[in-house]
Amino acid sequence: MIRVDLHPTHTYGKFKLRPGKPLPFGATIVPGGVNFSIYSRHATSCELVLFEKHAPQPFAVIPFPDSFRIGNVFAMVVFDLDYENIEYGYRMDGPFNPKEGHRFDKTKILMDPYAKAIGGRDVWGVEPNWNDIYQHRARIFFDDFDWEDDHPLEIPIEDLIIYEMHVRGFTRHPSSGVKYPGTFAAIKEKIPYLKELGVNCVELMPIHEFDEFENSRISPVTGERLMNYWGYSNVGFFAPKAGYAASGKFGMQVDEFKALVKELHKNGIEVILDVVFNHTAEGNENGPYISYRGIDNKTYYLLTPDGYYYNFSGCGNTLNCNNPIVRNMILDCLRYWAAEYHVDGFRFDLASILGRDQNGAPMASPPLLEMLAFDPILGKCKLIAEAWDAGGLYQVGSFPAWGRWAEWNGKYRDDIRKFLKGDMGMVGAVAQRLQGSPDLYKWQNRGSTASINFITAHDGFTLMDLVSYNEKHNEANGEDNRDGCNDNYSWNCGVEGPTDDPEINRLRIKQIKNAVTMLLVSQGTPMILSGDEMGKTQWGNNNVYCQDNEISWLDWSLLEKNKEIFNFFKKMIAFRKAHPALRNCSHFQNRDYMGSGYADITWHGTQAWNADWSGTSRTLAFMLCGKHAKGGTARDNNIYVAMNMHWEPHTFELPKLPPGWLWYVAVNTDMLPPNDIWEVGKEKKLRDQSCFLVGPRSVIVLVGKEPQEKKIVSKGARKARKKQLSSVRSGKGSKTKVSKPKRKERK
Amino acid sequence: MDIKVGEKDGVTVIEISGNLDGNSAPQLQERVLPMIDELSCLVLDLSQCKYISSAGLRVLLMIAKTASSKDKHCALSGLCDEVKDVMEMTGFSGFFKSYDDIKSACKALKKGGGK
Repeated sequence: MIRVDLHPTHTYGKFKLRPGKPLPFGATIVPGGVNFSIYSRHATSCELVLFEKHAPQPFAVIPFPDSFRIGNVFAMVVFDLDYENIEYGYRMDGPFNPKEGHRFDKTKILMDPYAKAIGGRDVWGVEPNWNDIYQHRARIFFDDFDWEDDHPLEIPIEDLIIYEMHVRGFTRHPSSGVKYPGTFAAIKEKIPYLKELGVNCVELMPIHEFDEFENSRISPVTGERLMNYWGYSNVGFFAPKAGYAASGKFGMQVDEFKALVKELHKNGIEVILDVVFNHTAEGNENGPYISYRGIDNKTYYLLTPDGYYYNFSGCGNTLNCNNPIVRNMILDCLRYWAAEYHVDGFRFDLASILGRDQNGAPMASPPLLEMLAFDPILGKCKLIAEAWDAGGLYQVGSFPAWGRWAEWNGKYRDDIRKFLKGDMGMVGAVAQRLQGSPDLYKWQNRGSTASINFITAHDGFTLMDLVSYNEKHNEANGEDNRDGCNDNYSWNCGVEGPTDDPEINRLRIKQIKNAVTMLLVSQGTPMILSGDEMGKTQWGNNNVYCQDNEISWLDWSLLEKNKEIFNFFKKMIAFRKAHPALRNCSHFQNRDYMGSGYADITWHGTQAWNADWSGTSRTLAFMLCGKHAKGGTARDNNIYVAMNMHWEPHTFELPKLPPGWLWYVAVNTDMLPPNDIWEVGKEKKLRDQSCFLVGPRSVIVLVGKEPQEKKIVSKGARKARKKQLSSVRSGKGSKTKVSKPKRKERK
Repeated sequence: MDIKVGEKDGVTVIEISGNLDGNSAPQLQERVLPMIDELSCLVLDLSQCKYISSAGLRVLLMIAKTASSKDKHCALSGLCDEVKDVMEMTGFSGFFKSYDDIKSACKALKKGGGK
């Protein structure tokens, strides 16, 4: 089809122009040129500023003619641009009147809020030129990518095992052994490891473009440079962090990240992005002009009546999330990541801010959250809220959900931690947490899938540190140990920090196993912090946001050192995956609706059918009826879990199984390997089927199995089978040969 | 960028020298795509290409896909480390058969080893 609007209508110097299309916002490659479109309600004029890549000065400044503005949108097509080699920005003129909320400065070059790729910090940690007049440079990138038949995996949320990780920290340590340490490409190299562990979802800490040099300073304690390592401070919402891409120096971060998502999907692993819409990297009134402040301060930020920045994020400013323009930008952004990057879901940092109105007051039905819940493109994306903010709003259990939103369950973390360290009076709360927190979610008709269960996350102690430190040790952050959370509910097992005491070290490993067992037998979606599976320590630092060094990087040599922990994690994940009874999406009904003779869940203690709910109790056991698995739609064994968080051993009387059924031990954290955890299907039959001595501070998991049908196997077939097996063991046979007599046996 | 078209043992060999970027990629596309119907095997030799941009990668992919849709065999040869790295990082390497030099590429294609 020949279009009639492909020719220039105006010229400016040597540039050929025509009025652009206002939508989509951003820079879009169109036949013959690039369509630039940007919103500003209060700007009086706008200029497009064009640079050659990395050039200190622009090669062109093109004012938008008045006739190129439609409503509050400046839109223009510039023809014949070598768009692969340019960077673009805007200059806006308008009032500077902070009291009224306006901070226009026509000398500043501003990044496009819709920039799909951003230069300026192309290689992580390379000191930028601070005199550069344009620090974060919008670029134009091809949006085509050969996805072949890739598609978001849409794994039911109750079946997910989330692995929370930092892109750089995961492989930056020299021990990682990858070709491109600290990058998206390196994660691709580590996919076999993730598969071996068994997780089926990675949640990536912020990967949107941020400035690792924001608030960079030298630690007075260690003398090391402190960086914005975590990246909870967005420069641009639509661009992947160039410094996380091995190809960032070539400007190909978009392709590299897409290639990673595609490869993870190919291996059955979903990708959830940690998104930070609560504030930007522009800080408060003393911060830099990067983009939003100079484009339309009053639109993008929550401002006090005097024009100062509200600080509900604890980071200097607060994005005006329920302004219709910002709301649409957030929606456009999420749709873009879902559609163009095939991302499977999002975890929203300080999500409660997204529910505040334009004056900062919490709303009952925030339009942004509702819009995201019902959006057609995000329709199958996981939406996970960190349901609190730094302004005092705490909404775990009450986050507006419309049946779509899940929450980081902070109460799960705290209650399990307290129980784990032996606090009294926790049994009632822990029972709720293990069931997917019906006390928090059932009243709203939200299933156990509303609860993302975690004991550790990037924020706070690692699991090894949780059992090795009573107090945080954040001195290296250079804030006199004032930063980071004080309510850690941790216990060092007797000595603060590393020790040679073998008993204490043994207890720490046991406590780690106790924690991960409780996490993986809980209803809801478990989340594991990357590194916990190999006993990662941060030497007691519970807030490593600024530590781009060995404090925070994952040391892969721990995998060998803490093989025991890794094996336990791996087998425990496999256990969860093998048992649908652990992965219900609805809450238990506490009744037998399948006619099995057992309710879906029953509670026990040292006496069967009689849990000790008293304020001094530190023991609890429960049994899941396998016939009620997934609401009765799946079949499973019965599962019995006994937790003894007392420092003395206790004998637990076991609930009786149906006639012929037997109890098998799957997990006993009191035992040394290989008797601590048994592979699925190879659990050890219990000699005494009536009771179990659970060691001090230990957890056991039993599976109750139906008697297997007796197989009628002919003598000849048995002989042939034996012969085949022995030839396989000696390396002579092949797998296909083995399977043949097996089929015969079944007949 | 310079494009040289030749033939070796019944395989069409296109030698690309210089940078393959947004400026030169359309040129390569215009030159190669019309040839695909006429040939049976194609080697794109990049031993003299030291830089490849996103646009360059896309043109190579487009050529390879077009060839494969017409049941023609296509392979790359002589990638320098830098180009190889870029293709690996961005996942493009998965789409191509790649060989050390023209000779081994031709040999493989004649055996039917290319895409």
